[in-house]
Amino acid sequence: VGAALPVDVLTYEEKTLSAILRVTSSGLVKLWSALTLLGFYQNRRCAFRVLQTSPFLLALSGNSRELVL
Amino acid sequence: VSFLIPECGILPEMLKSTIADVGEYYLVRNLLLHELVTHEFIDTFVKKGSCYALTYNTKIDQDNTAALLPTGKLILSVDKDTYEELGLQGRPSQYSGKKVMRHIITIDLTDSSFHPDSKKHKRVLWALKEKKPLEFDFLLAWSNTGAEGSTLMSYFPKNQIQALKPKITFSTLRDLQCPVLQSNELQGKPEESCSTEELFEWLGAVFSQVSLDNKSSSFLSTYCCPQPNTIVEQAFLCTITGFIIPEKIIQLLEKLCCYFDEPKLAHWLTLTVHGFADSPVSWRESEHGFHKGGENLYNFVVFRNLDYWLQMAVGTNDACPP
Repeated sequence: VGAALPVDVLTYEEKTLSAILRVTSSGLVKLWSALTLLGFYQNRRCAFRVLQTSPFLLALSGNSRELVL
Repeated sequence: VSFLIPECGILPEMLKSTIADVGEYYLVRNLLLHELVTHEFIDTFVKKGSCYALTYNTKIDQDNTAALLPTGKLILSVDKDTYEELGLQGRPSQYSGKKVMRHIITIDLTDSSFHPDSKKHKRVLWALKEKKPLEFDFLLAWSNTGAEGSTLMSYFPKNQIQALKPKITFSTLRDLQCPVLQSNELQGKPEESCSTEELFEWLGAVFSQVSLDNKSSSFLSTYCCPQPNTIVEQAFLCTITGFIIPEKIIQLLEKLCCYFDEPKLAHWLTLTVHGFADSPVSWRESEHGFHKGGENLYNFVVFRNLDYWLQMAVGTNDACPP
């Protein structure tokens, strides 16, 4: 219980296999590291890539780095 | 740029023309930076209206980036090697840390000391043309002050420039939980209205399609719509994506304010504008950086009585907005 961190899965999109997670600011580093180091789940290889982080949920809806012309 | 109008199902008539006229922007590939410093370009575009340019597909924390502001200032954000090779005077980036890895060079193209025969102009042109030629793909937009003359399309060779229209998407959300707001209660009043922060987060949830009615004991997510809220039957959401100039945003904002000229069910509507994450400047000329995120955005909440809230948000490597 001491090491646990409350995390909300706000959205999950099966098509793009992407999700939005919410965590307290003090837990960001822990969560990010945990995701980076998670290589296996139920004996299947997996990898997590963090696309965007922000303290504002609204900032996640406009990512200019995704602009492809 | 996005706007949300509760209690509205389709694009209101009065906004149709503004949306249709949102203008074009241009992508110019492989443009050598010194071409923006030539007096032909300055006299044709920079001095006659507002010219905007931003390098495309460059990361502010990794690559060299350039931007042209409507005030006529050219901002270059360059890494250490480029700065040393270029030889132009600049200042270290505010977000550099102990070892300065990034410099910002500002060149005022409309300055009186920058005329064609001045030493300053010669030096800049030499640095950008011969010493260290820099080439980028640029996003360009120009709002001219009505003067007749050449357009950006005709100035650049056809194979280099491409005209693009911003992408516009509409959607109607059904049975949406909307927070109740009172324009003079910024902190919210318990049982009566929600605070500005709650609205800001709720708006983010709506745009990211986050489910709004989770129970606090729900396993997946504990986010729920702030109280007090009402359920609106429908809400209209429109998003315009592209290189959009402030003149158009102001027009859109004015039209949105006119939405309340006739009686409407909605109590408020919102207009959100996101800046480019890799732009070298955010508000006015404050330096903008990308730490873990490059957000720089603002949000207007316009009420029926034309009171408004303006919320501005920046990331870690940014100065506070004015």
